[in-house]
Amino acid sequence: MLKKWMGFCLGFLALFFPFATPCPAPAQVQEVRIGDSKGDWGYPNPYRHYPRGPGYIRMSWVFDTLVWKDQNGYVAALADSWAYDPGRMAFTFHLNPKAKWHDHRPLTARDVVFTIEYFKKHPYRWISVDDVSRAEAPEPHKVIVYLLKPYSPFISDIGGTMPIMPKHIWQSVENPEAYNGPDAFTGSGPYRFLDFNKAQGTYLYEAFGEYYQGRPKADRVIYVRSGQAMVSLVNRQVDLANIQPDMAEPLKKRGLAVIKDDRGWNKKLMIHHRKAPFNDKRFRQALAFAINQQEIIDKSHRGFGMPASCGLLSVDHPMYNPDTPSYAFNPKKARALLESMGYEKGAGGFYQKGGLPLEVELLASNITVAGQSVADRDGEVIKKQLEEIGIRVDLVNMEQATTDSKVKSWNFDLAVSGHGGISGDPRILNEMISSSYGAGSVNSARYDANPELNRLLEAQMTEMDEERRKAIVSRIQEVYAADLPAISLYYPDSMAAYNSRKGIPWYYTRGGISKGIPIPQNKMSLIK
Amino acid sequence: MLAYVLAALVMMYVSYSVPRWLPGDFVTAMYSSSHVTLNAEQEAELRAYYTERPGFGRYLVDLFTLNWGYSFAFLTPISELIGEALPWSLLLLGTAHLLSMILGFLAGVEAAWRRGGLVEKAGVGSMTILEGIPEIGTAVILLLIFALHLGWLPAAGGETAYVEHSTGQWILDVMGHVALPLATLCLAYFPGNFLLTRGSMVMVLKEQFIDTARAKGLPPARIRYAHAARNALLPMVTRFGLRIAFMVTGALVVETIYAYPGLGTLLFNAISMRDLPLIQGIVLFSSLVVLFVNLALEFAYGWIDPRVKHAF
Repeated sequence: MLKKWMGFCLGFLALFFPFATPCPAPAQVQEVRIGDSKGDWGYPNPYRHYPRGPGYIRMSWVFDTLVWKDQNGYVAALADSWAYDPGRMAFTFHLNPKAKWHDHRPLTARDVVFTIEYFKKHPYRWISVDDVSRAEAPEPHKVIVYLLKPYSPFISDIGGTMPIMPKHIWQSVENPEAYNGPDAFTGSGPYRFLDFNKAQGTYLYEAFGEYYQGRPKADRVIYVRSGQAMVSLVNRQVDLANIQPDMAEPLKKRGLAVIKDDRGWNKKLMIHHRKAPFNDKRFRQALAFAINQQEIIDKSHRGFGMPASCGLLSVDHPMYNPDTPSYAFNPKKARALLESMGYEKGAGGFYQKGGLPLEVELLASNITVAGQSVADRDGEVIKKQLEEIGIRVDLVNMEQATTDSKVKSWNFDLAVSGHGGISGDPRILNEMISSSYGAGSVNSARYDANPELNRLLEAQMTEMDEERRKAIVSRIQEVYAADLPAISLYYPDSMAAYNSRKGIPWYYTRGGISKGIPIPQNKMSLIK
Repeated sequence: MLAYVLAALVMMYVSYSVPRWLPGDFVTAMYSSSHVTLNAEQEAELRAYYTERPGFGRYLVDLFTLNWGYSFAFLTPISELIGEALPWSLLLLGTAHLLSMILGFLAGVEAAWRRGGLVEKAGVGSMTILEGIPEIGTAVILLLIFALHLGWLPAAGGETAYVEHSTGQWILDVMGHVALPLATLCLAYFPGNFLLTRGSMVMVLKEQFIDTARAKGLPPARIRYAHAARNALLPMVTRFGLRIAFMVTGALVVETIYAYPGLGTLLFNAISMRDLPLIQGIVLFSSLVVLFVNLALEFAYGWIDPRVKHAF
C-alpha cells in the first residue's frame, strides 16, 4: 500500500515533466489475458460469483463439474463415465481417481454427495437440486444420484453445471455467502484463484499443476477490464475479447482470429399479455405481422443478425421445429387482425376503438449481451413499424435495470428484451414461458393461459427418451408461436476475436457453456 | 461554519433518502438472469433482506462511528471500496484539474496581455471551439491515434495487471495508462480556464492601479503577474471549487471509455446493480469532499485577496 501511495505521489510529480511514457514491455511468462468491459463479476466461488454468465465462467476455472462440454458436446470432467438407470431413476457417475483439490487432497464420491446435500441446505442460485432425492457413495469413486421423478435436463443442469465443493472445507461453514476464508476458493478445476482486484476489475488465476486432465496450456489466466475491445486486442493488451461484428474484418487484417457463435441468443419483444388488448392472441399476432425483423437487423445492426424463430428455440438447436408458425412481415394481415378486433382507422391514420386511440408504450434499453451492454436502435425501428400500420407508440428509452424492474412488476405494455440459452437444453422453454419456472427472470413471458402448453412443458421435463422429448419440444414451439406471449425478433451476430499466436484455439461451445452461456471462454480450450 | 455543518447534515439526509427513489432494486438487477433458479419463496426472502433499512437516526450513528456498511454486490466494506478507488480518481482528476488550471491560467494571462494581437485572437478562437468538443469525442480521437494506430499508449486500465515491476517501472506503467484519460480531461478543462482567466485579466488590466504600475516603469512581467494576475485569480479559485463537484460524475465518460478505475466507475456499477449502500456511500463521500473543499476555499480567498477578510 505504501508503495502504491509513494508511486502515486511520484507519478503526480513526474507528470509535470513532458516526456513520453512508453507502453509496458510484454510479460515474459506464458499467460492469457481476457478482456471484459465490466470487470467485476464477483468472487469465483459458487456463493460469491454474480449469478450471470461471466460470473459463472470465472468460477468455472476453479471449480469443476461432473461433466462438461467442448465444441462437440458433453465430455468427461470429474466423472469419467455416467449412465442413467430408468428403473431406479438414478444416475451413476464414475469419478476420475486422479482428481484432486487444490490443497492436494483427493476428490472422492463423498465430496459429490456432500455438495448435493449442501446445495439442498444452502441453495446455489444457478441450479436447483429440488428434483434430486438423495445421493450415495457406495465406492470412493462412484456416486449414485437418485431422482424424485425423471428429470430430462439433469446432465445439463446438474451434471454439467453443479460445481463440486470440497467437503473438508465447507462442512463447517454455516453461512456460505459470507464465508471468505483463504480456502473458500479451493476447487478441483484447472486453475487456482489468486486475486480479484475490485477497483481494477481484474482477476488472476494460476495453472494447477496436478490437474487430473493434465497441466493447462497457459500458466496464468488474467481478466482485465477493457473499454474498447478492438483497441485492446490490436495493441495486445488482451488476447481474447468479445467484439462487435463490424470489427471482425479489420481485426482479421491485423492477424487476429475471429470466431462466431451459433444463434444462441435472441432479442425479443416482451408483451403484457395479461391486460387488454395484449391478452387477445389476434393482437399479438398483429404485432408480429407488423414487425419487419430484417429491417430491424439492417437498420439497427447493420445487417449483422438473422430473423428469429417465433418458437423461441434457436434454428441451430437439434430440436428446432422447422414447421413452427412464422409471421413474415405482412402489414395487410396485421391491419386485418386489428380490424377483426373492432379497431377502426381514425384521425392521422391511427387505429381507435370506441373513441379511444390505440396507443401503446414501448420500453427500450441497452441490453447486456454476454456481459457487455450493447447500444442499438431497436426501439426506434419497432416504433416506426408499428406506427406505419396504425398503432401509436410512446417509445420510452430507459436504463436496463429500470426496464427490467418495470417488466418484472408487470408495469409495461411492450418492452424490448433478450436472453441466451436458446440453443442449450430445452428446459429454457419452461424458464422463458412458464411462471412456475421463470418467475424470477425478467425475460420470462410468465404465460400460463394455455393448458396444452402447460402440459407439454411439464411433460418435456420428465421425458428421458431423447426422440420422444424432441416430439414434445417440437409441439411446444408450435403452440408457443401460435399464442405469441412474447415475440422473438432476431439473433444478433455474436463474435469474439483472439490472438492466435498464443496457440490456444478458443471456440464457442455448442449450446453454450453450462446451461447455455454464450461466451467463448471454455476452460477445455486450455486443456491439452 | 454553522452553515457548513447544516449543509453536511442535509447532505447526509439526501444521501440517505434519494438513492431509494431509484426505480428498480438489487434483487431484480442481480438475480433476474434467465439462468437463475429462484422460487417465489427464495425471491421473497432475498427481497426482504435487501430492502431492510435502518432509520435515519441509525444511519447517522453508523456514519459517525465510521461504519459505512457493506456493499450488496461486492460483499465488501464500503469504506474499503472507496479507499481503493479514490487514489485513481485523485491521480486522474486531481492532476487534470491542477494541470489545466495552471496551464489555463498562464495562457489566459499571456493572451489578455497581448489583447488584440494575432496570438490572442487565435487562442480565443481555438479555445472556444475546443470548449465545445465533448470529452467522448476527444477520447475516441486520442484512442484511435495513440493507442490503435501508433500503439504508443495502452487503451484501458490504470496499470498493467499482475506484472512484476520495480517501483520505477510501475510509475512509468501508471503514467502510461493515465496519459490518455488525463490528456482527454485536460483538453476538456483547459479551454474554460483559459477563457475565464483571459476575461478576468482583460477587466483587471483596465484598472487604474495597472496604469500606475506602468507609469512607475515596473517590468511587464511583474505588472502581469504580481499586480494583474493575482487579482484575476479569484474567479479561477471559485471555478476550481465548483469543478471538484464533478470529480465523481465528470470523469465517468472518460473512465468508462478508458476502463479506468475510479469513483465514477464504482458509482456507475453501483447504480446499475442498484447497490444502495454503495450508492449512498459514494454520494455522501463526494458531497462531503465538495463541502470540505469549499470550506477550504473560504480561507484561501482571504489569503489570496486580503480585502475579502475585511469585507466581513
